[in-house]
Amino acid sequence: MTIPHETRTNHTIDEGAGRAVGTSQLTLLGVPFLIGATVAVTLGVYGSLHEPTGVAVNVGGFSSPQTVKVWLATGVAVLAVTQLLSALSMWGKLGSSAPSWAAPVHRWSGRLAFLLAVPVAIHCLYALGFATYDLRVVTHGLLGCFFFGAFTVKMLALPKPGLRGWVLPVLGGTVFTALIALWLTSSFWYFTTIGVTL
Amino acid sequence: MKSTPLLTLLGGVTLGAVVLALSVHATGGNDEPPVPAAAPAATAGASAAPSPSPSPTEAPVNATWAGRLTAGTLAISVQNGVAVAYLCDGAAIEAWFQGTAAGGRLDLAGRAGETLSGTFGEGQASGQIKIDNQALPFTVTTVTAPSGLYRATATVRGAQVDGGWIVLADGTQVGLVTVDGVARPAPPLDTATGRVTVDGDVLTPTRPRELS
Repeated sequence: MTIPHETRTNHTIDEGAGRAVGTSQLTLLGVPFLIGATVAVTLGVYGSLHEPTGVAVNVGGFSSPQTVKVWLATGVAVLAVTQLLSALSMWGKLGSSAPSWAAPVHRWSGRLAFLLAVPVAIHCLYALGFATYDLRVVTHGLLGCFFFGAFTVKMLALPKPGLRGWVLPVLGGTVFTALIALWLTSSFWYFTTIGVTL
Repeated sequence: MKSTPLLTLLGGVTLGAVVLALSVHATGGNDEPPVPAAAPAATAGASAAPSPSPSPTEAPVNATWAGRLTAGTLAISVQNGVAVAYLCDGAAIEAWFQGTAAGGRLDLAGRAGETLSGTFGEGQASGQIKIDNQALPFTVTTVTAPSGLYRATATVRGAQVDGGWIVLADGTQVGLVTVDGVARPAPPLDTATGRVTVDGDVLTPTRPRELS
């Protein structure tokens, strides 16, 4: 039998215990949600007001800025799956006890995924902007704004003491789902439409 | 431990700022004057944000972009903001587009409802072509004479001849000639003289734009 509290991340154990009993989840999460929403809206507004340049800085070794984005985003997607698996492991869903490396793997794969995702987003926003010429593109743009907003909420909520057990899994699951949908509407589409090229 | 998620966020913001600054620098800073991320945030609250006003007085665009796509070869030629594009696989498929290139945006259409839309900046143009409900993304780069787009329309001994050629930066050519409605691979164009021989007749295709 598993005892979830024992297998959670350090921060929830260290700082969460008992301190904020009685504080409503809404109060705890209000500020993270407001900031996350601001991030999402800001990205969307910038994307649509800014005149797309068509180009941005490129990374050497790839044939075009598109392929750079496609491969960086694929790296992010792989790390996101790592995130899901390590989170499941941390919460004791993959076996009786969580391995000691689950939490560091979760933290570092998350950091790396975020850092890889940022240049992709900047390229999208700066070079292409918020486009509406078909459903895939609209979906992708909206998801992109939503993803960074949701990620902000998750990160700001993470260190808060007194969160209910379901809050972080729900936030993490939302971020994961948005990211995979982002990947499907861009990289996967690219691989299946244009082909797998470096 | 408690502050690391915040540090992660700040790290991402910093990286984003650096990449954005590099991009602005790389593209010659043709961005809107205010700090990009901060300015739109100010207007985010007002639902009726003012329209972008993409500096309509900028100089008319003159450029040719060309390159290979999976579906064929594409050339887009722009003179004073008027754009002509040609997509051709050199065997059977071709499509001509006409439209405009202004304010960083390409907006062209073909005779059968095909569309070509996208953006352009220094050195390249990218976007999407829609043909028969198929979407073909493209990214093509600047080419200079004698590379580029050529077109010939003539009546030769009663036959209507219509040809298109794309000469890429490496000198390779892709083209089709249609004689009385029958398309076939175009004979090679001599880029030095600008001439081509079709069925024994010499034609001089024109360029939508004579590039420097």
